[in-house]
Amino acid sequence: MKFLCLRLFLFALVCTLPAGVFADERPPITPDDLKMKTEPMAPGANAIILYRQVDRDDNDQTGHEINFVRIKILKEEGRKAADVEIPYVKGRTDQIANISGRTIQPDGSVSEFKGKPFDKSIMKTKGVRYMAKTFTLPDVQVGSIIEYSYTILFAENLLFDSHWILSNELFTRRAKFTLKPYDSSDGRFRLQWSWNNLPGSDQPKMGSDKIVRMESNNIPAFATEDYMPPENELKSRVDFSYTDDLETDPTKFWKSVGKRLNSKAENFAGKRKAMEEALATIVSPSDPPEVKLQKIYERVQKVRNLNYEYSKTEQETKREKVKENSNVEDVWKNGYAYGVHVNWLFLALARAAGFEAYVVYGSDRYNYFFNPKIPDEHKLDTEFVLVKLNGKDVFCDPGAAFTPFGLMMWSETGVPGLRLDKDGGTWIYTTMPESKDSRTIRKADLALSDNGDLEGKLTLTFTGLKAMELRNEELHEDDAHKKKTLEDEASNSIPSASTLELANQPDWKSSSAPLLAEFKVKIDGWASSAGHKVMLPVGLFSAEEKHVFEHTERVHPIYFEYPREKDDDITITLPTGWQVSSIPRDIVQEGRIVGFSLKAENNKSSIHISRKLSLDILLLEQKYYASLRAFFQGVRTADEEQILLQPGAPTASN
Amino acid sequence: MKNKFFCSRVPRRQAISVRTLAGATALLVCVLGCVSGARAGDAPPWMRAVVNAPLPPHDEKTEAVLLFSETNVNVISADKIKTVERRVYKILRPEGREYGIVQAYFRSPGEKVNSMRGWCIPAQGKDYEVKDKEAVEAALPGVDGSELVNDVRVKLLRIPAADPGNVVGYEYEKEEDPLLLHDEWVFQDQAPSRESHYSLQLPPGWEYRTFFLNYPDVKPVQSGNPSEWTVQNVAGVRAEEDMPPSRGVAGRMLISFIPPGGAGAKGFADWHQMGQWYFNLTEGRRELSPDLKLRVASLTGDAATTLQKEKRLAEYVQGRVRYIEISLGIGRWQPHSASEVFEHNYGDCKDKATLMIAMLHEIGVNAYYVVINSRRGGVGKGTAANVGAFNHVITAIAFKDGSDPSLQATLGHPKLGTLMFFDPTDEVTPFGQLSGALQANYGLLVTPDGGELTELPKQAAATNSVRRTAKLSLDASGNLHGDVDEVRFGDRAASERWALRSVTTDKGRIKPIEGILAGSLANFRVVKASVTNLAQSDQPFVFKYSFDADNYAKNAGGLLLVRPRVLGVKAQGILETKEPRQYPIEFEGPVLDTDNFEIALPQGYVVDDVPPPVDADFGFASYHSKTEIKGNVLAYTRTFEIKELSVPVSQAAELKKFYRIIAADERNTAILKPSN
Repeated sequence: MKFLCLRLFLFALVCTLPAGVFADERPPITPDDLKMKTEPMAPGANAIILYRQVDRDDNDQTGHEINFVRIKILKEEGRKAADVEIPYVKGRTDQIANISGRTIQPDGSVSEFKGKPFDKSIMKTKGVRYMAKTFTLPDVQVGSIIEYSYTILFAENLLFDSHWILSNELFTRRAKFTLKPYDSSDGRFRLQWSWNNLPGSDQPKMGSDKIVRMESNNIPAFATEDYMPPENELKSRVDFSYTDDLETDPTKFWKSVGKRLNSKAENFAGKRKAMEEALATIVSPSDPPEVKLQKIYERVQKVRNLNYEYSKTEQETKREKVKENSNVEDVWKNGYAYGVHVNWLFLALARAAGFEAYVVYGSDRYNYFFNPKIPDEHKLDTEFVLVKLNGKDVFCDPGAAFTPFGLMMWSETGVPGLRLDKDGGTWIYTTMPESKDSRTIRKADLALSDNGDLEGKLTLTFTGLKAMELRNEELHEDDAHKKKTLEDEASNSIPSASTLELANQPDWKSSSAPLLAEFKVKIDGWASSAGHKVMLPVGLFSAEEKHVFEHTERVHPIYFEYPREKDDDITITLPTGWQVSSIPRDIVQEGRIVGFSLKAENNKSSIHISRKLSLDILLLEQKYYASLRAFFQGVRTADEEQILLQPGAPTASN
Repeated sequence: MKNKFFCSRVPRRQAISVRTLAGATALLVCVLGCVSGARAGDAPPWMRAVVNAPLPPHDEKTEAVLLFSETNVNVISADKIKTVERRVYKILRPEGREYGIVQAYFRSPGEKVNSMRGWCIPAQGKDYEVKDKEAVEAALPGVDGSELVNDVRVKLLRIPAADPGNVVGYEYEKEEDPLLLHDEWVFQDQAPSRESHYSLQLPPGWEYRTFFLNYPDVKPVQSGNPSEWTVQNVAGVRAEEDMPPSRGVAGRMLISFIPPGGAGAKGFADWHQMGQWYFNLTEGRRELSPDLKLRVASLTGDAATTLQKEKRLAEYVQGRVRYIEISLGIGRWQPHSASEVFEHNYGDCKDKATLMIAMLHEIGVNAYYVVINSRRGGVGKGTAANVGAFNHVITAIAFKDGSDPSLQATLGHPKLGTLMFFDPTDEVTPFGQLSGALQANYGLLVTPDGGELTELPKQAAATNSVRRTAKLSLDASGNLHGDVDEVRFGDRAASERWALRSVTTDKGRIKPIEGILAGSLANFRVVKASVTNLAQSDQPFVFKYSFDADNYAKNAGGLLLVRPRVLGVKAQGILETKEPRQYPIEFEGPVLDTDNFEIALPQGYVVDDVPPPVDADFGFASYHSKTEIKGNVLAYTRTFEIKELSVPVSQAAELKKFYRIIAADERNTAILKPSN
């Protein structure tokens, strides 16, 4: 009962506060705000945030956060900002209280939001309700200013991460944030924070009153673009978390973390005798080191990997009676494990074979780029194994399905990792694959018909991370789906209607072998007539490049998941009696990070076209966008080149 | 390998973000995946009996087959109907796992799901059973805005081991206080069906009437009380691009329950009666509150003509009242009152129609509901009256003194005079026009006298159009530059306006132009560009732009190869499929696009050869293009017209040929040669 009373009291307390405890700090609306038509720093904006304030207080039995937003409507399209939705989770976590809002017209007249916000359930289950408070502010016109505020009440006795996400789809002229952290009497918890891409020299600072504050101005509107890094890396943001690790020095922090993780891994992997017995069933003593390691890798990949199984209900899981593995011997005996334990089995077997091998904890680059200067253990969210092979570091992740030996998942490449040892470990960087490691090879043997159709055989070969990507995508699919995927993969590269029929049984199960698919292909009307001549475009597999970087403007850096290469080898047999009148000149654009070549050869009764496009880019600064776009424009221009054919009677050739 | 063993020692939670809403559907699956398991139980006999039954005809793409279904309807009274639904599927492919999610939709209040159970008979091992307590309730997954309402909900239950080779089945009982004494038995869906049953138990003295849609009449295998119908080996409906809506192709039985003395307010025998029913359902919803009257006065007070007043009100309801993309209200049919919609400032289509009609009435203009399907092809002249036929509500506005010639979506009515159809929900289609999907579509005109199934007007093709003119010049290096004016009307304008709604910068508004150029040019640079009439939906939408395209013309052995069709792609590949077409092709609406490109040729070159003209007229559509030499100008003109809105399967091959002719023309090249 005490619990309930306290909860109600706190709710009542916050509900009876004025618009917010910090309301008096909100700047007034100025005559200039009322009159403004445009924002020079956000040309063309439909609406902008004039002012935003977030005040959070964690130092209570029940934490709460007051949010205030003031928006200026500049265009018709901006009126949708008046439709407000505040999602929240009810039952276990928070409530929304104190919703208020109003519309201020350019003449200063005010329409208060009098309606009742709709508190509607999105879903409910097991005592948790996913809810949304929704309302629309009244009488919103171009020129109006709308403002609304609400308070999030957090569940009692719990501390939550918090985030100041400054970037919004609207330009923000001014924003102000405060956080009053939880001040545990016994000093058990410590607040730590980090930030990213803050405008100017803005930084959050804790004042003498123990409140963290920050003000920021002129925050650009955030927009998404193709081939951009993870949003978390680009948005202006501050992330707060509580930790019970009181160490603030990053070096000491990671040393402590490394020791603990190392101990955990070593305890699991430390079954030398059992591993030596297992090893004897995998390798021959006479195998060279590389062969030994590959054999171990391939054997370990055959362990049933529980991370990759289709999601099961609890009932199914119970029935399977999957026991928890306590060590690598269990994994070996049971024949199943989660990916992390597959890796640790590999570690133990590699060591049993005499290799120097380490566990490495890294941070993948799916959602953010890791910074070791920030002592947050949760950011180390992936692990793999480093093996010294013939004096070289080889990173291995057999726990990631279909990863070829010597490669890793793209998200684990080029990232920092903590190589563990008993002293805590050493920071290292994982290797980056090269474009030649992940190739799409298209070999076509086609015949041109009198009416311009192409027909023949096409072979697609995928290697490295491209093969791994396809195999993972199709992991839970059947043959019919896999067939369609490959046929789509082929037809999507052809910029014209085509009919493809898969003619072989590709090897979907291997990690090391390339994924090879053979097709019968027909492309209707590929060649077109021009008076008495016939044009044959050289860019048979050019469709994927057609819309790449079509926009002139670029805001964000350019980001590819992994380097890749496309190699085309096309032979086209001409109809009897046809001659080549003209053939495009060779094109070669070799750059440090991108390369393209296109060569068409007249072999009399046939034409041979070779095309190569390689991208050795991972992250490229925005300032290089124009050059990269020009490169792709050049690729497209080359792909549009035509071979001029003369049907029937022979003619002069260049 | 992504590890999964970190856990926070301090209870943590990421603040829920707006994305949580968008991810609600995905969340449903997660939550259903996390429900605690029930004890295993044997599958019921009706399920076990069909486990080894021969499968209905299917192909390798079939995800699952329906082995058995049974719909047992027990009409207890005019106020209470209980329905037990049973289904048994065999999962054939991984995508068929979705058949392991039981979904029971219900309106609240008025309907409830009394019980729900599911079973799986795996190919090997013991049966699984899940019960009611494992089910979750949710807003409609995948429906934008559904979180705002509680009156249409779904109950979901995940059946374990819904894997290929296994058989899943479920049973639920739904109880309702029916708005209508009417039911619909849908026995044809995506999954081919082996055997489906429908049984009906009526109170003494009651009768029923049936009507079959998209399927030959089926006689009951048992007449009387109960009555029972059975269908066997019904083919699945596989989705095709631009096909009619499911209601236009999938077999179903409409059935009305008729108490002694007739169904009264809870039934109808024809469209006329359905109109009466709907009119009665909306009775009292069009009253205006004092605030709403004031708003009408303030909106129309200074308008000089009735038409101006109507346009003001239309603009208000279309643009100022937030649309929620879900059928709200009792049984998806009854609108909220006009005053309530005005007060809340949001509503669904029938709410907005109600507000529009009420506001028009306040200025002395009669307007009517038109209940319609948002996609053409689901309802035709011969379709029997049924509530499921429609999913959208618009308005028909009566003009006393004839209509203004600028208004396109008009129809002469023998009693009501000129009617203009207007969709208050569609904020990018202006007053006086209809979107293509509603044109030539059948809707139920609801008047105080009853309903009339009415074919809405088909506008002239030119009202939905892109008219592109370009004045360009080519230099001897093959570089092309010049200016383009692109004027868009109808849906062609609406789609651009819709796409630009959320663009927040001037630079962002240029991106669609870059998209158009990128569709046809390998290498281009926009020199200048502007967008006109973005927000003025009653005006043509205009893109004006200038561009440079390097190496547009290709040098080949001293010749210059120039593609006269500089911009725009009309050819489509929707029929370039391996499988033969099964269903008609429904175009979005009539279209008349024109291109006029003039390319000034470089000095020192003359035209050696130009592509032949194209004149393709297939009745349902036509395409004409020609390339001419006018002095030193290469002039390319073409028109593309969609004349008929539906192409039957028998003409699919002709449509495919039509698009191939266009594709060939779009690739054709003119040859320039040195003049000396």
